[in-house]
Amino acid sequence: MVCLGERGVCLEKEVFPVKFAVVEKVLDLARANSIWPMTFGLACCAIEMMSTAMSRFDLDRFGAGVFRATPRQADLMIVSGTVTKKMAPVLVTLYEQMPSPKWVLAMGNCAISGGPFVFEGQYNVIEGVDLLVPVDVYVPGCPPRPEALLEGFLKLEEKITGKRRFPGPESRW
Amino acid sequence: MVERIKAELGATLKETPVGEADYRERGYHLFAEVASADLLNVARFFDERGFYLAALICVDYKEYLELVYIFSNHASLCKVKITLKIDPAKPVAPTISTVFDCAYWHEREIREFFGVSFDGHPNMTYLFLHEGIDFYPLRKEKIPVSDEDKKALGAFRPGEGEDTFFVNLGPQHPSTHGVLRVVLKMDGEYIEDAQPVLGYLHRMHEKMAENRSYLQFLPNTGRMDYLGPMAFNLGYVTAVERLCGIPVPDRANYVRVILTELNRLSSHLMWLGAYLADLGALTPFLFVFDDREEINDILEPVTGSRLTYCYFRFGGLYNDVDDAFVAGTRAFIERLRSRFSLYEKLVGGNVIFTNRTRGIGVITKERARKQAVSGPVLRGAGIAMDMRKSEPCAAYGKMDFDVPVGTRGDALDMYQVRIREMENALNIIEQALARLPEGPIMTEKAPRKLKPPKGDLYHTVETPRGELGIYIVSDESDKPYRMKWRVPSFSNLMIFPELAKGNLLADAVAILGSLDLVIPEIDR
Repeated sequence: MVCLGERGVCLEKEVFPVKFAVVEKVLDLARANSIWPMTFGLACCAIEMMSTAMSRFDLDRFGAGVFRATPRQADLMIVSGTVTKKMAPVLVTLYEQMPSPKWVLAMGNCAISGGPFVFEGQYNVIEGVDLLVPVDVYVPGCPPRPEALLEGFLKLEEKITGKRRFPGPESRW
Repeated sequence: MVERIKAELGATLKETPVGEADYRERGYHLFAEVASADLLNVARFFDERGFYLAALICVDYKEYLELVYIFSNHASLCKVKITLKIDPAKPVAPTISTVFDCAYWHEREIREFFGVSFDGHPNMTYLFLHEGIDFYPLRKEKIPVSDEDKKALGAFRPGEGEDTFFVNLGPQHPSTHGVLRVVLKMDGEYIEDAQPVLGYLHRMHEKMAENRSYLQFLPNTGRMDYLGPMAFNLGYVTAVERLCGIPVPDRANYVRVILTELNRLSSHLMWLGAYLADLGALTPFLFVFDDREEINDILEPVTGSRLTYCYFRFGGLYNDVDDAFVAGTRAFIERLRSRFSLYEKLVGGNVIFTNRTRGIGVITKERARKQAVSGPVLRGAGIAMDMRKSEPCAAYGKMDFDVPVGTRGDALDMYQVRIREMENALNIIEQALARLPEGPIMTEKAPRKLKPPKGDLYHTVETPRGELGIYIVSDESDKPYRMKWRVPSFSNLMIFPELAKGNLLADAVAILGSLDLVIPEIDR
């Protein structure tokens, strides 16, 4: 028998004052802070993705530095480059092989919309990876700077937990 | 050399005249148009004289298709253009893949982009394009793929054998550095056959070149080879300058050399890290990225970007370098020199690494010529050929540097050649900085709208991966009529099947890494 407060009211008779956190939310916190991306370099953006993971930008600070070579161990697919019609079925297969919950980050203009490779009469580029798989975060740039990719990771965290861990970038314009 | 070849070729061809071209304007010394019956003889003629097939290009002139064969020589500067006209209604040409092995791949490429069939070619299946394509993309008119040709689409089926199985290396594999796919026929752990399948990153650069102006195409060059965009920029800019006769100020030429060499360093560093990562050593990857970021710190304020630079302009540069750039570059040279001893301890003197790479993927001089490999791979095989020496553009002619060559031609030699090339690059930068002249960075004579005179040009530069050849056909309009990119990684990859044969799968990864491939450049 535990009594709470000065009045010494028994727990059985009062509404229980402590709320248990939803298990899912705890799990989300864990997921958001240990995102395992897939080693999936497509084109130029892959080099910037590697730079982000290396010592200067250090993606490990956000718990996202564990790049997995197999989709079966990954939570996040970073589409870093142009998706061609020949690559599209491969990309979809890889996405389907990833275990849920899973997220997709479209890095760079090519993955967002086909980027500079869209012109009249083009025959080989998918104009945006969102035509193939659902995309959670878009990071624009050609290629995006590592800082932009980091911001993309923070956005993804925000999407998963519903809260932002760090202050957002200052708006300059 | 040129006179001798002209006389001998004339004697072989008998009735067909052999013309002499202005090398400064055209990029080749001799040209001749042959009949298709003579083609194989001509190929043998060049094969006997130690030439290699630098490029095989197809151009659609509407009334006829033209195949352009560029033969070049490692020993002395002599380039010959052989053309063959074919009827677009019935496009058939004889294959020369029996003489020059690299033609095997070029002919397959032409087949899918132009619909030209090669008589006697062992495997005319598609190499680049996806299965849904129903026209020949680089033909000027939209010509549907015939039902018979459609069978060749996606017809690549590796042959079955007893006790063998297939392994797909890629398109998603960490050691292929991108989206390359190699289908391996395995007997246990040993490779019986390897077939590259390309086109997972085919971004239609050559098609894009035909529907935009010369200047508008400039940013594309940086995206073709994202590790060495400066060299691709330099190649394209100098090619167009040569075509239009635009002069370049002295200062711009020196700055071009400095930036191209800095970019070569960052490309080679990236290769070093990625190669060691392929072999299982992840530590160097962190070290080289540290150095790469230093290079980016120097280049970023000048060029405005970190990766896909677009800095050179026709007739000069985008903006001038300042004192901070010069001081930063000097400090970086000091830094990297001290790092070399660290790399030597960590990698070059590491018995695990040396024993792993010694004696695998051996390329002989003869095979290197037949497959037309270039760059550090060619020099690793023992042939001292460097476009910066043989055909210097920008201010390379005034720089003093040697051409390192390997002795064994194995993967370890490729490593040593690249490390020595990095040391050379530092020396070149130092020389260029010491002599950097004052003056304008942009010529005043550059026309606003480029309309090069009618004609063609084959222009080569040395990129971090080897010989980049740009073939431009101009029809006096402001857009190129045809632009073909002869890219180094494409030729370097094509020697891989024969190197991998009979090796362990783990060694094949080590061989593939030693070739230093950049996939968007192969696929274009």
